[in-house]
Amino acid sequence: MQVGVRSRAARIRYSAFGYANIVPFILFALFPVYFMVITSFKNDAELYDLKAVPFLIQTGAITEHYTFLLFKTEFLTWMLNSLIISVVSTSVSLVIAILAGYSLARLRFPGVASFGTAVFITYLVPTTLLFLPLSQVVVWLGISDTIWALIVTYPTFLVPFSTWLLMGYFRTIPKEVEECALVDGATRMQTLLRIVLPMAIPGIMAATLFGFTLTWNEFTYALTFVSQSQNKTAVVGVTADLIRGDIYYWGSLMAGAVLASVPIVAIYVFFLDYYVSGLTAGAVKG
Amino acid sequence: MAVGQRVLEAAGVPRPGRLARLHEWWEQEHIFGYGLILPALLLIVCLVAYPFGMAVYFSLSDYWVGSPGTFIGLDNFREVFRNEVFHRTVYNSFVFTSIAVVLKALLGVWLAMLLFRALKFKRLIRGAVLLPWVIPTALSTLAWWWMFDSLYSVVNWTAINLGLMAAPGPNWLGQTGYAMAAVIAVNVWRGLPFFAIIVLAGLVSIPREFYEAAEVDGAGSWRRFCHVTLPLLKPVLAVVILFSTIFTFSDFAIVQVLTRGGPVNTTHLFATLAYQVGLTGGNLGQGAAISLFLFPLLAAFVFIQLRYIRRD
Amino acid sequence: MAPTAPRRIQRRQFLRTAAGTTAGMASWLALGKSPAIAQKRELTFLSWNHFVPAADEELRKQAEAFSKQAGATVRVDTIAHLQLPAKFAAEAASQSGHDMIIANTSTGYLYEQHLVDVGDLVEDLGKRYGGFYPFSKEAALMSSGWKAVPWFWISFPATYNQAHYKKAGLEVPKTWDELLKQGKVLKKQGNPVGIPISHCADANTTFWSVLWCQGGKVLEADGKTPALNSDKTAQVIEWYKELYKDAMEPEVLSWDDASNNRFVLSGKGSWIHNPISPYNAALAKKMPIADDINHHNSPGGPAGIHSAPPINSIGIWKFSKNADLAKEFIKFHFRKENFDAWIVASNAFNHPPLRHFADHPIWANNPKFKMLPKEAEYAHPRGWPAKTNAAVNLIEVNYVLPDMVAKAVGGMPTKRAIAWGEEQVKLAVQGKLETKGKS
Repeated sequence: MQVGVRSRAARIRYSAFGYANIVPFILFALFPVYFMVITSFKNDAELYDLKAVPFLIQTGAITEHYTFLLFKTEFLTWMLNSLIISVVSTSVSLVIAILAGYSLARLRFPGVASFGTAVFITYLVPTTLLFLPLSQVVVWLGISDTIWALIVTYPTFLVPFSTWLLMGYFRTIPKEVEECALVDGATRMQTLLRIVLPMAIPGIMAATLFGFTLTWNEFTYALTFVSQSQNKTAVVGVTADLIRGDIYYWGSLMAGAVLASVPIVAIYVFFLDYYVSGLTAGAVKG
Repeated sequence: MAVGQRVLEAAGVPRPGRLARLHEWWEQEHIFGYGLILPALLLIVCLVAYPFGMAVYFSLSDYWVGSPGTFIGLDNFREVFRNEVFHRTVYNSFVFTSIAVVLKALLGVWLAMLLFRALKFKRLIRGAVLLPWVIPTALSTLAWWWMFDSLYSVVNWTAINLGLMAAPGPNWLGQTGYAMAAVIAVNVWRGLPFFAIIVLAGLVSIPREFYEAAEVDGAGSWRRFCHVTLPLLKPVLAVVILFSTIFTFSDFAIVQVLTRGGPVNTTHLFATLAYQVGLTGGNLGQGAAISLFLFPLLAAFVFIQLRYIRRD
Repeated sequence: MAPTAPRRIQRRQFLRTAAGTTAGMASWLALGKSPAIAQKRELTFLSWNHFVPAADEELRKQAEAFSKQAGATVRVDTIAHLQLPAKFAAEAASQSGHDMIIANTSTGYLYEQHLVDVGDLVEDLGKRYGGFYPFSKEAALMSSGWKAVPWFWISFPATYNQAHYKKAGLEVPKTWDELLKQGKVLKKQGNPVGIPISHCADANTTFWSVLWCQGGKVLEADGKTPALNSDKTAQVIEWYKELYKDAMEPEVLSWDDASNNRFVLSGKGSWIHNPISPYNAALAKKMPIADDINHHNSPGGPAGIHSAPPINSIGIWKFSKNADLAKEFIKFHFRKENFDAWIVASNAFNHPPLRHFADHPIWANNPKFKMLPKEAEYAHPRGWPAKTNAAVNLIEVNYVLPDMVAKAVGGMPTKRAIAWGEEQVKLAVQGKLETKGKS
């Protein structure tokens, strides 16, 4: 954005202004996270001490809440379940969404516009209701109380969004490239797989990250379709096992929140640039 | 489909007549197009359409959780509409959604512009700002709950110690106005990153030449924002506002964890009231009616918005 | 962005793997069976996360012991109590899930048609152990028969801080009016009392108790005529208003079931109406405040002492293929030695619905618990003098009663608040009547 005609002082002022303004946002974003972390290391006496300073750990940090979580609950199994469910359902959804997104963005056939809208409308249906009939479907499929129940149902909300995002991304790819390939004798499927797909990698990455986040964080289905502790996801496991009526295990609960967030945060840190650039085109041409 | 393709390839040239015909048939634009959306279509029909149809049926019947109902037409909707708590919920939902979306939009654009400028520690800053969006809501909301706790509220502690509030400070989740403010704050906290990142994506895609041209014309930064950035961001904003409105309107987790609709139903949203009436109360028919009450309105809104975006 | 060769290969690899996974899944779906189906018979029980975790551990231990004896595995799944309704609804809708469920007062009514008749079992247990308390029966006995076995009730006494009381020179309150007078003193001392006026279970429980002690009722005995609009209710609301203003902090408006526990454990609160879980938590976590916490019987009023302790039962789904085995397990759990062990594990939190079990020394031997079993004499099911029914359940889960109080406390004239409550009660009754006769 800088055109290079400005003075050094102006540039410094410019960026100082930017950083000064972004600090409140960062504080706002990070404070609850910081609070989660700090709570997870506090001992109970300090946690319930009205005179203690909530920001600090004054009577020594303890790792008891973490060891409780790791050794007294099935937390590691829950994490593994979450991982399997998220990876499989996101990949499956992505394949479906790539095909549908390409078709809706590029090919002309009757009904294409209304199908695009229909995909969107599915988002208006509240999950708080859908889960009941869906639980019947899960039973018909014979997969209730297994992680497959979630792997199969998660695409219902992943596919619409991914399709939407990828549709936008595919539109940004110049049509001429494909036309050349077709003229050269490539089949349509070859064109999609070898020409279009490689160019859509950022969009696909963005959709993947988004899908992964949604599945990792999903709650209602994970709560209702799975009962056995060993099949639970991390989010449900932590809340279902550590919220005990009128006594909350705040320390362990927050430790669980921290640990359950780590994988997804790590993925974001790693693929952040893809996410932004993938969304760029996807959203702009939506 | 990928398999079918490979079979065709493996058959090699010259193709026998039937395969060639099949190949030709498959290469037609509309056949190929339908073929590609088939998996998505199947998924939506089997796993979304059926449950959705059932949900609509629930709303038109006197279905209770423990007993299948009979068709009663629009009675549930009439019944729901008569209830004062539902009126309150409609009001709450509009207040909640409009304030939260406006805040997210304003702060989101502002944050995106800041993120766009900040070049040092770019990854770190972007990562930090994205955190609220990434952390599982069911868990982060619990942290907020603890932060708003009536006894141990760190929010009040901070404000009191900074001299911004007189002790003991407001009871965030128990006083009507404050409770709404609290749930909105958490919703904004969670939704802001999504907004900012997508708008940032939009900013990245604006060609530099536009700014350069504006600068050459002597436009100040405010005018550049109004005349270059904003118009070019319009399509992105339209999409993200659409998404955000829908997500905010159907929010469930935040209110359910923080207030369960209290105090005195002043934070109930459609989803939480539907849950309370339909599941804990067992009256599925009315619960479904509550959550589908605005479906036609929202669908129309989405439809119009989408057409507008496409035309742009 | 030009694609490079290795990338392309990777990507195709990925797509192939993904396609493989899909195909594998599809073929396996076609079998229509989950590979996880156990060969051995499996009996499953969905219960809540017990407020005293050791009780769940004991229950699982018994399940294991029963497994060995019966040659079937028994699995106990526990989840947070607020998550149960969604789970029940899904299991009833899909006609599949656990074999046994924990049933609170409303569950039995909502799922009456889906639960197995357990009359024989109840009769057997009653004969053997001195009979069930009448109030526990009424939550499990429907018009269609016994739909659940009363399991345990939770004594709802007053939990108070002796040190604060001593400092103020007060004796424990015998009536709600006394509590109000004391509360004013205690609040000035910096130790307010606390009764939730919010969307939580405790708020309902206490309101029933106060209303009954004043002589009020929500429904007539017929279960369908609203009776909330009365002088008694007005007196109760005036009492709440004064208590809120002079003896409590506004925080009671935001409380959930855990808040009053924290309120006492923090050392701030002097008196709450709550089961013994704060005391047990303080003991378990070795908090010094445990010494100061004591209990006394729920206060009374002009119409006597009445309370609405929560009651939980065990129901068996009709779709269960193991109903007989489930009954065997329940019998096993109700053996004196097992039930006693379970009471001990809960540290006196679980109260038996059977008279003979109530003499367990855990109460008699501990001066802080001694008065707890007596609460049974004051107990009524929600809705009393009407029988608990679906309308009562709606009133409960919609928090009509606490909301009515909250409105009045927030400034709405008492009369209007009551009129609002009465209207909500009417709607609840209509909701109930509409489903009547469907079974």
